[in-house]
Amino acid sequence: MTVTVWVSRDAGALALGADKTAQKLLAAASAAGTAIKLRRNGSRGLYWLEPLVEVECAAGRIAYGPVSDRDVPGLLEKGLLIGTAHPLRLGPIEEHPWFTSQQRLTFARVGRIDPLDLDDYLTQGGFTGLRRALDIGPAATVKEVVESGLRGRGGAAFPTGIKWQTVLKQPAGQRYIACNADEGDSGTFSDRMLMEGDPFSVIEGMIIAGAAVGATRGYIYLRVEYPHALRVMTAAIAAARKAGYLGADVCGSGLAFDIDLRLGAGAYICGEETSMLESLEGRRGEIRVRPPLPAEKGLFGAPTVVNNVVTLATVPVVLAGGAAAYREFGQAKSRGTIPLQLAGNVLRGGLIERAFGITVRELLYDYGGGSASGRPIRAVQIGGPLGAYLPESQFDTPLEYEALAAIGAMLGHGGVVAFDDTVDMLAMAKYAMEFCAIESCGKCTPCRIGSVRGAEALSNIARGIEPESNLALVEELCDTMLQASLCGLGGMAPYPVLSAMKHFKEDFGKRTNGS
Amino acid sequence: MNIERLVTMANDIAAFFASEPDPDAAADQVANHLRKFWEPRMRAEIRGSLEQGGNGLSPLARRGVERL
Amino acid sequence: MYAIDHKDLGTPAAASGESVTLDIDGSTVTVPVGTSVMRAAALAGGQIPKLCATDSLKAFGSCRLCLVEIEGRKGFPASCTTEVAAGMKVRTQSARLQKLRRGVVELYVSDHPLDCDECPANGHCELQDAAEELGVEGSRYANGGATQRGVAQDASNPYFVFNPDLCIVCSRCVRACDEVQGTLALTIEGRGFDSRVSASQHQPFLESECVSCGACVEACPTAALTEKLPLSLGAPTEAVSTTCGYCGVGCSLKAEVKEETVVRMVPNRAGTANNGHACVKGRFAFGYATHADRVRSPMIRKRITDPWREVSWEEAFAYTAAEFKRIRKKYGPDSVGGITSSRCTNEETFLVQKLVRAALGTNNVDTCARVCHSATGYGLKHTLGESAGTQAFTSVNNADVIVLIGANPTDGHPVFASQLKRRLRQGAKLIVLDPRAIDLVRTPHIEAVAHLPLRPGTNVAVMNALSHVIVTEGLANDAYAEARCEVDTYRKWKAFVADPRNSPESTEAISGVPAALVRKAARIYAAGPNSAIYYGLGVTEHSQGTTMVMAIANIAMATGNLGREGVGVSPLRGQNNVQGSCDMGSFPHEFSGYRHVSDAATRSLFEGAWNAKLASEPGLRIPNMFEAALDGSFRGLYIQGEDFVQSDPNTNHVVAALSAMECVVVQDLFLIETARYAHVFLPGSTFLEKDGTFTNAERRISRVRKVMEPLAGLADWEITMRLAQALGYPMHYSHPSEIMDEIARLTPTFRGVNYEKLERLGSIQWPCNDAAPEGTPTMHVDSFVRGKGKFYVTEYVATSERSTSRFPLLLTTGRVLYQYNVGTQTRRTSNLAWQSEDRLEIHPDDAEDRGIANGDWVGVTSRAGDTVMRAVVSRRMTPGVVYTTFHFPESGVNLVTTENSDWATNCPEYKVTAVEVVRVGHPEAWQERIRAERSAQRSPAMPSA
Repeated sequence: MTVTVWVSRDAGALALGADKTAQKLLAAASAAGTAIKLRRNGSRGLYWLEPLVEVECAAGRIAYGPVSDRDVPGLLEKGLLIGTAHPLRLGPIEEHPWFTSQQRLTFARVGRIDPLDLDDYLTQGGFTGLRRALDIGPAATVKEVVESGLRGRGGAAFPTGIKWQTVLKQPAGQRYIACNADEGDSGTFSDRMLMEGDPFSVIEGMIIAGAAVGATRGYIYLRVEYPHALRVMTAAIAAARKAGYLGADVCGSGLAFDIDLRLGAGAYICGEETSMLESLEGRRGEIRVRPPLPAEKGLFGAPTVVNNVVTLATVPVVLAGGAAAYREFGQAKSRGTIPLQLAGNVLRGGLIERAFGITVRELLYDYGGGSASGRPIRAVQIGGPLGAYLPESQFDTPLEYEALAAIGAMLGHGGVVAFDDTVDMLAMAKYAMEFCAIESCGKCTPCRIGSVRGAEALSNIARGIEPESNLALVEELCDTMLQASLCGLGGMAPYPVLSAMKHFKEDFGKRTNGS
Repeated sequence: MNIERLVTMANDIAAFFASEPDPDAAADQVANHLRKFWEPRMRAEIRGSLEQGGNGLSPLARRGVERL
Repeated sequence: MYAIDHKDLGTPAAASGESVTLDIDGSTVTVPVGTSVMRAAALAGGQIPKLCATDSLKAFGSCRLCLVEIEGRKGFPASCTTEVAAGMKVRTQSARLQKLRRGVVELYVSDHPLDCDECPANGHCELQDAAEELGVEGSRYANGGATQRGVAQDASNPYFVFNPDLCIVCSRCVRACDEVQGTLALTIEGRGFDSRVSASQHQPFLESECVSCGACVEACPTAALTEKLPLSLGAPTEAVSTTCGYCGVGCSLKAEVKEETVVRMVPNRAGTANNGHACVKGRFAFGYATHADRVRSPMIRKRITDPWREVSWEEAFAYTAAEFKRIRKKYGPDSVGGITSSRCTNEETFLVQKLVRAALGTNNVDTCARVCHSATGYGLKHTLGESAGTQAFTSVNNADVIVLIGANPTDGHPVFASQLKRRLRQGAKLIVLDPRAIDLVRTPHIEAVAHLPLRPGTNVAVMNALSHVIVTEGLANDAYAEARCEVDTYRKWKAFVADPRNSPESTEAISGVPAALVRKAARIYAAGPNSAIYYGLGVTEHSQGTTMVMAIANIAMATGNLGREGVGVSPLRGQNNVQGSCDMGSFPHEFSGYRHVSDAATRSLFEGAWNAKLASEPGLRIPNMFEAALDGSFRGLYIQGEDFVQSDPNTNHVVAALSAMECVVVQDLFLIETARYAHVFLPGSTFLEKDGTFTNAERRISRVRKVMEPLAGLADWEITMRLAQALGYPMHYSHPSEIMDEIARLTPTFRGVNYEKLERLGSIQWPCNDAAPEGTPTMHVDSFVRGKGKFYVTEYVATSERSTSRFPLLLTTGRVLYQYNVGTQTRRTSNLAWQSEDRLEIHPDDAEDRGIANGDWVGVTSRAGDTVMRAVVSRRMTPGVVYTTFHFPESGVNLVTTENSDWATNCPEYKVTAVEVVRVGHPEAWQERIRAERSAQRSPAMPSA
């Protein structure tokens, strides 16, 4: 009998040797005369356990990990294919405590299915959201999304349904759906995992969006640094087209919708929606002034829904289960679940999808298991390179939009990066300015020149050059950048700087040269 | 004046009005054009040329010039 | 830097007719909906600091200086990108705003030289202004920080210099190139702090795609882009509004003057023809006006082989008058005549024809429009009722389909081309009928939906085929045509075009245009809903030029594309005042306002006003004059501003005719080719040296204003006046405004025009009279000027000029951006940096057959003559067709062109000459001589007949 074995094709797993493990499995099984069916899935998001190998056997889908290629012969010998006990045996992964405490809605299928197997997708609830959307029609679909409380998961947290409503009520004419897959925040990977692990969910979300607002064309703007996601998404789009989910007549509904995938060229700024639109149009990736909003005048001047990958992949969940069910998750104005991406100096990094409301500390310690170095965690940066640094005293803040905003921080795209007590927060502040300088599009002055001058002034402080006046200058500069920048890059780069200066004053004191 | 040039010009004019199905009207139109746009010297020369046989004039140009 | 007297409002005007009222700094302001807060504040008399905004460009929001506070809004919105709203309360000044603005300016000056006193923009620099206003004297950021300074200047462009050290990366130049000019030659290269302005692929400006329109220079807020002339002559002190003396677009310009010297020319942002834009000619190529070659004294000579003798004006007039009187006495009044110039003002043109008709007593007056748009006058007059284009240029903004026939606007009418490109980039469809793939067929973000590369001389066949499709596929607008046109002529025309001989399938063999392409183009044109036709000399300069103009009018009438914005039939006029010179009665058969000399009522009106007996018979046209000269019945000619020898076809014939005359008077700026055959030379004046008006291609009458004294002492109108007086005819005007008053009195379509009104309105599109006191932007609105529109049957008649085994190629002619007409002016400017000779474009297949490589000298021979020029091998050409320009006398293009002409108007058939092209070793000796003499220009060198 042929045994089905799952090894992830997720880029994170591949980086940890998943391909080698998979090849070894095939070779060793064949040498042993055992027939196995190797299937490739997305990652379950427990990266410290990758390469994860799951075996479908009488005991269920039993996981082993991390399994390096060197472990394979021994494991096979010991009865891997029948789920035998072994130090690497984890049991069914969904019963793993790291997993059971999660609430996987958007990521429900990721790691469970072959991302390019349309049947897998369908049997696991795929396209039920689309069918319902087609049944209830555009206005009701938009209403569902509004009532679900879903907010943009890309970082800005704008209510998705309201955005759709704005597009829906524009004068008749061409409209577009633009999927922002330019996931550039440091320490984030949820978009990538979704695209690699469940691409049809992104496609389904885009089709629903198209049907809801009357758009016939969608674009995915994918960062060039995601070659695996590119391959999976490209194949999935082709498969969806072949199966009639994309094209002139979506599922026999009479509605047309198709998707083009475009690659970015390595600019962080193109993750900002208006720069992304410029880039999609073939122009220099530069910020557009708002208003008009993209929902009014977006891609090629037409009303455009711009949503992040996670947001769009969540839409089928909302439609399939209904707005009320989705709203049940979360708290206050943060409804539903959020895929948190835990990285940096933690023992167990990975993807944790949970209803809003878990505290920073719970995330760092209950999931992350504390720092990887074993030293105390001194600071975390939430929401990417432009997010504020939180000191230990703020670790009890719940991870939800308003609570973080109240302490001058932001959830952003859900990336959480931890630092232990060896971190130099002045260097981190300088890094924020440098990041801004490198990634600035150059359009507005506060960002274009300010970020460079900010990094220089912080560097001077580090070198002990007029630290007091330079600190004052940096504070003034941060005010200029915050208030006067054209977009969030220059406008938010001061957050990590100011939070570091506020909470880690001691790192900005007098220094000896060169430190 | 170079009579060959004038004959060519008259023929060009006639070629435009040739689409007029009524031959009488067509000849009138040619003559009218010549009257409106040709200086008297030119009209005199083309008439003179016609009196000497009108060599090279197309049939319609000829009928037009006859009416000058 | 924009014009010195321009008050910049920061963002363009809003189009809305509705207005809103808001509160700015405590004052109530009412502005149109869509206006920016910045503009509203400026209109209210305030000034919000700004660097990236200027009112010729869309708001960009990058400099972040113009932040304001708005009650109820978070943060500090940029006033340039924030639209006003009813009841909005705006604060433009506060301590908080000052602090933020200072913070931003401090960042700018952290990487900008601070030695303003040394800077050419000192006193006109917007960064300097902002810093002064905000009290920023320097930067607290430490020395030794990153800098973008130290990059070499780019002085490659002859007219302006780019100094990157002074650049503040506001993108105004880049946006000007995109939005105003539409060439997209400039970009910002790099990102973040490394962002910098770059021409094309980081090339010197001269080698880049830049067409040197100067929009970027005007847009620059600092001295990063600066004109060279003010650098050497000093800053201008005064700005005088005037009208460009080059093409028929008629751009409104401001001549910026320092002590009677023009140091800078800047387009007038209030100008309606050009909307604040200009091209490399209008903006920069005015140096000819003070060129050493300008003739500054009248000259006479008894024989054309004698040397010139400088004389006083009195002697020149006395001599000329005596000669004309002598000739008239001996050979009769019809032995003399005059030529008006399309480069002179309406008033001057009017005077020349008045002199000929009233003082010389003959209708032997013609104008250089004879050789360009005479067919337009005839064709449109007979079909629609008026000898002029039907639209304003701005009409193109409402066009959905644009058909370009035999016109190359990016070279010939660059400022209109910019407007056209804007519309095409907004999505209007373009159809091009041209043997060459002109730039617009495919240029960034523009691609013609159909290019019909027809064989030269087959326009009418193609137009009939387009009409055939429209009629036989039921695409005509019968309701419109039958209500507004003569029904019988419409039906007759329909029956004619519906005939199978006019089907695209039948005409394909004639024109070489695939039938399917013709059908496609016809359907697109008919579908509109607003379809506009723009055409050039590729329509008129044919043996069937007039037929083609009529065919264009026919198709526009049949589809209802006349009488409103966005549609129409618009000839693109070549020279600045072609329209005006025609309007002014320059043609031998008609008085001003296109009224035939045989009309007794009109004639008696003029006889009364001019106190002279006027002739009732049409006079000689230019080619007829040559014929008459050769048979001895035409002996004296007064030519104002036209160079027959270079510009008219069959040069050998022209030269023979002129050589046979007894008194040829040339009134011009330079010793032009025709002056070699002249007996009297009267030094004329440039458009900078006189007052008057020009009328552009959209019938727009605009003022020309004097900014310097005539170099030779007299303006052209004064010369004509003095000549008339010498002839014994009293002519007295103290100012051209009095001539315009006379024109208005005698011309119904000009009845309401006067200088006071021009001053008030800026410009006026005729007809301007009691019915339309402020002029007429769109003609034929409710009915056609002639009453009912008249269809003409336009049978295709092949030209006698056809390719044969001896002359297997067809030569067609045109122009380039950098040179103008016969080049008299532009050849005496730095425009030579781009184009210093005429070249023959030839398709690679034809070149290969003849062993011709790029840059080879080739001999071009027709039945009329031959010449030598350099070849350019180009895929723009259709095989079998070659192309050249006629800007340089040494290229002798018109030695090759023939005497063939339009049947109705004798407009020469410049666009079709059968030729053979062979590779030769070198140019002819006479060509080498002219080339060598170019700067001297003083001795005869053309071949004599």
